[in-house]
Amino acid sequence: MKRLAVDDLSLEGQPGAFAATLMNSSADLVARACRGDQEAFRLIFERYSRPVISFVYDLVGDRELAEELTQETFVRAYRNLRTLRAETKLSTWLFGIARNVARESLRTRARHNHHVDLEDKSVLDLQDGEPVPVDRLLGKELNELIRRSLALLDEDKRLVFTLKIFQQCSYEEIAEITGFSIAKLKTDLHRARSEMRRRIRPYVGVSHEV
Amino acid sequence: MKCEVCLKLLEEYIDSELAGREAEQVSAHLTICVGCAKEFEGMTAEQEIYARYDRALNISPAMWRAIAARTTPASEPTASSSRVRLRDRIVGLFNAPALGWSFAGLAIVLLLAAVIGVAYLRTRKQLHREEVVIGIKNAGPTVAPERHETGTTNPPKSDIRTAVENDEKLARKLAPGSPRAKVIRRKNSAAASQSDVLFPEVAYSAAEEQETQTHIEQAQNLLRSIRNIEFSEDDTEIDVTYEKALSRQLLNENVVLRRDAEMSGKFPVKTLLASLEPFLLDIANLPDKTSPDDLREIKDRVQKTEIVAALHTY
Repeated sequence: MKRLAVDDLSLEGQPGAFAATLMNSSADLVARACRGDQEAFRLIFERYSRPVISFVYDLVGDRELAEELTQETFVRAYRNLRTLRAETKLSTWLFGIARNVARESLRTRARHNHHVDLEDKSVLDLQDGEPVPVDRLLGKELNELIRRSLALLDEDKRLVFTLKIFQQCSYEEIAEITGFSIAKLKTDLHRARSEMRRRIRPYVGVSHEV
Repeated sequence: MKCEVCLKLLEEYIDSELAGREAEQVSAHLTICVGCAKEFEGMTAEQEIYARYDRALNISPAMWRAIAARTTPASEPTASSSRVRLRDRIVGLFNAPALGWSFAGLAIVLLLAAVIGVAYLRTRKQLHREEVVIGIKNAGPTVAPERHETGTTNPPKSDIRTAVENDEKLARKLAPGSPRAKVIRRKNSAAASQSDVLFPEVAYSAAEEQETQTHIEQAQNLLRSIRNIEFSEDDTEIDVTYEKALSRQLLNENVVLRRDAEMSGKFPVKTLLASLEPFLLDIANLPDKTSPDDLREIKDRVQKTEIVAALHTY
């Protein structure tokens, strides 16, 4: 009977696929992937690819590059799965790898005089005009505004801001990912918030009455 | 608490990183200080804006295919190819015009050190062997070391433990009454109680689902009770002690469940919980005896946004 209950969850033509997705904890998947189970690693990818690519995109500001670096992150993760310590959360560990991959890429591009979008001063060219209430601002415009404002933060501040605001990591997790002290990350986060507020408020009319 | 202290702690308060006592002090101050409360509202509004940020990124199947191609055992570099690559690298180092002599010198020094090291080890081994022979002669016959019948060696202990063990550790670290610890314990007990189930993780996931459902039901009841509070124009204070306490408890649970939903890719649930959070936050920050205006404001928002209906459809 219990087996039947599990089979009920099956996708058409893919017996047990959905059930398999449901019944895997991260630690189990890691253990199985360590033993060379490719399917387990695919499930890890499915579970964490979206947060990782979002995080990388926030750091590098380029869609194609973010995809490329996400691939590199997961390849490195696969090769180093055995070094994952029991007390470390898989997401924290993956963000740590993604951060290193993104940083290396930004350094290489800077060395080769490739102007990275994020450092491009043209991003300062935000729309002029009267502030628009946030409810009336179209989703696309709001996204663009946040992306551009984010791009103007320096690397450390952008990193801490992204991890806290978008990935909702705790201070402890951010410290583990970045290697920053709690005091530094608090300062960076405070400054990042103030800078973002300064840039966003005039355009979206975010005042206290929102 | 003074305003400057409160404003300094406000970000940590919003991030849920303040310790219990400080959080209570900030919360109490926000109920009596209009200026700080406005600042708090502004920050909450910002959080809501950031929550709407959509990067429009797609995870294409091609991405996984590319990763799979690079992580399948066949694509792993073989020992011989890595040896060839290593040799090429060493040759490359010597070919580098700026570093050629210094690397050659370094290599000669290392080679000499290796030769001396090997010679030293060989003489030591010989000495050791002689000592052992003398020792055996003196000690007589010894017991042969135990051998496993199967002839296999034990595999190395994996340093990755089960999720339940990890969660238990985390739960022990957390304060016993904290919502995170409660959620973890509930999940683990659900998993443990299903030891006879063929696939315990399905039960685990079902427990999580049940947890969210109960939470949403409680939140719905709370918002309904807030919406239905009636008061006359003469009332100067309304007692919301119970609602406030309940809201605090639900707020903490909400944060945990929202993060869990996000991590497990349940984005509709995450969005629903995210839209619920500002209401819980506002109710949790009301004074025990609140003014009709404050309460009316929350009631109006509950009605306007139709959050109760959204929760009901979950």
